[in-house]
Amino acid sequence: MSSALRTVSAKRWLDASIIAVMVLLAIGMLLPFLWLFSTSFRLPSEAYKLPPAFLPPNLDLTNYFAVFDSRVPFLQIYGNSLLIAVVVTIGQMVTCTLAAFAFSRLSFKGRDALFMVLLIGLMFPAQVTILPIYLGYARVGLINQPIGIALMYLTSSFGVFLMRQFMLSQPKALEEAALMDGAGYLKIFWRISLPQLRPALSALGIITFTQTWNYYFQARVLLGRESAMTLPVAMDMLRGYMGAGNLSVVMAAMSMAVLPVMLLFLIAQKFVIEGITMSGIKN
Amino acid sequence: MSASTATPSARATRTRPSDLARAQALTGWLFVMPTTVLYLTFVLAPVILTVILSFSYFDPMIGSRWVGLDNYARFFTSPRSLKIFFNTLQFTFFAVTFNVSVGLILAMALNRAMPGWLLYFFRLAFFLPVIIAAAFVSIVWTYFFGDDLGVINYFLRLVGLANVRWLTDSTMAMTSIIIMDVWKNTGFFMIIFIAALQGLPRSITEAAVMDGTPAWRQFFRITLPYISPVVFFCIVFASIGALQVYESIVILTKGGPGDATRSLSILIVEEGFSSFQVGYAAAISVVMTVIILIITAIQQLLSRKWVQQ
Repeated sequence: MSSALRTVSAKRWLDASIIAVMVLLAIGMLLPFLWLFSTSFRLPSEAYKLPPAFLPPNLDLTNYFAVFDSRVPFLQIYGNSLLIAVVVTIGQMVTCTLAAFAFSRLSFKGRDALFMVLLIGLMFPAQVTILPIYLGYARVGLINQPIGIALMYLTSSFGVFLMRQFMLSQPKALEEAALMDGAGYLKIFWRISLPQLRPALSALGIITFTQTWNYYFQARVLLGRESAMTLPVAMDMLRGYMGAGNLSVVMAAMSMAVLPVMLLFLIAQKFVIEGITMSGIKN
Repeated sequence: MSASTATPSARATRTRPSDLARAQALTGWLFVMPTTVLYLTFVLAPVILTVILSFSYFDPMIGSRWVGLDNYARFFTSPRSLKIFFNTLQFTFFAVTFNVSVGLILAMALNRAMPGWLLYFFRLAFFLPVIIAAAFVSIVWTYFFGDDLGVINYFLRLVGLANVRWLTDSTMAMTSIIIMDVWKNTGFFMIIFIAALQGLPRSITEAAVMDGTPAWRQFFRITLPYISPVVFFCIVFASIGALQVYESIVILTKGGPGDATRSLSILIVEEGFSSFQVGYAAAISVVMTVIILIITAIQQLLSRKWVQQ
């Protein structure tokens, strides 16, 4: 019995020391973010000063105001990013949900073949679609138009797949009862299916918003003009303009750029993680 | 499917089955219409056009012409593009290996009872890099990887070590990019592995503990075989992402020094949009896609085998 007790307490020690090591590691993981926020509050002349700052020396917002006085139309760029992310998020919530309802609840000719073709889309990287899209956009005048990027992502194979998986896991009893009572499919979708989809819809919305906010490759190719840019591309440009002299202003801009996704994560951590890993596990 | 075909007959008294089937088909097509049209326009048609472009010399002024496999031949014979191809495969190999193995080690470490606030903190710390754009964090890391003013070198000097030229040394630059990539992405795999580990039946591990099976043996004999489909999925998922690596390299090194860290995606953008070698760029992107398709096909085959077992 004493040996059993000993192993129990040994295990507890092991657990505690592993967690202690993990806490240190976790703080290490956060250092780039701590540095980014802290540097945004440093005096521009001291931004590079060593030792680096991991805690803000003050809470003076001068650098933040300086971002808006810079040569870069930061407000407009921020607006472009928001516009694209919001339009794409709402668009995908609508198109993917509609398609998923059809794929999981209705039977029609060609349904399964169409779904397979859609699934293949999961495997195509942006690199293999960008050239024709660029050439087409050049012809119709959608280059340097933020809405052009939004248009490309109004639906996604992943979104349809995610919503369909969720719907397949939901019971159909209520919908069938409504059908018996003579309700049409539109009414069933709107009144019965949609309210049940809330968790899946928030997962899809969060993933889509985050993904769209972070797009770089597509935006860099299609949005070259400053006033049309999105934040990820513009940050790199801002860094070039500011040069070495104004690192703290660049970090102030960056702090504002990461804010929406970071807030989303702090508030809805569980949803974000479940949503993003759902893409992993369900596959 | 069987349920939906059974329902109409059950209520045949009210509406004729053919009407209902027609209504169902109509609604179905209506609902898939937006996705189908968008998918055809922005995914399927562009992919097909890219394949066609890859066999042609594209010039909107003089007119395009069919050049057969020339673009592919150029890619597979030019030392420069082969070097860039090799860079990409090298990055993929190391980034995948470390992302997945570090993620698994972290998951094993965190897969134990702890208070809720601590779990929130760990998830925050390890998952935050995953969701913040690579373009943003890469800018921060350029200052971490700086030479004299760099944050990491400051700490190296503090403990008496010499500066490392993280991004300016051609043999070091790729390693630095991989380090940042693991910092950024390993948390994703950690979270997936934690979910997989929690599916491990407790009775089995408890029995092993009772028998006094050493921990490493438990891991290789019980845990790893149990989660191996998930491990394999993670390897495939990580490879597909790593093959497309773009912004972290563009921002950290711009592909340099020289071509030391240039990746296929960078080459595609340079050839397609700076040099206007559209056909050649298309061929490179087709090569990339074919590799992704092969990796995915292998995964599908193997996972089917696993399911059958």
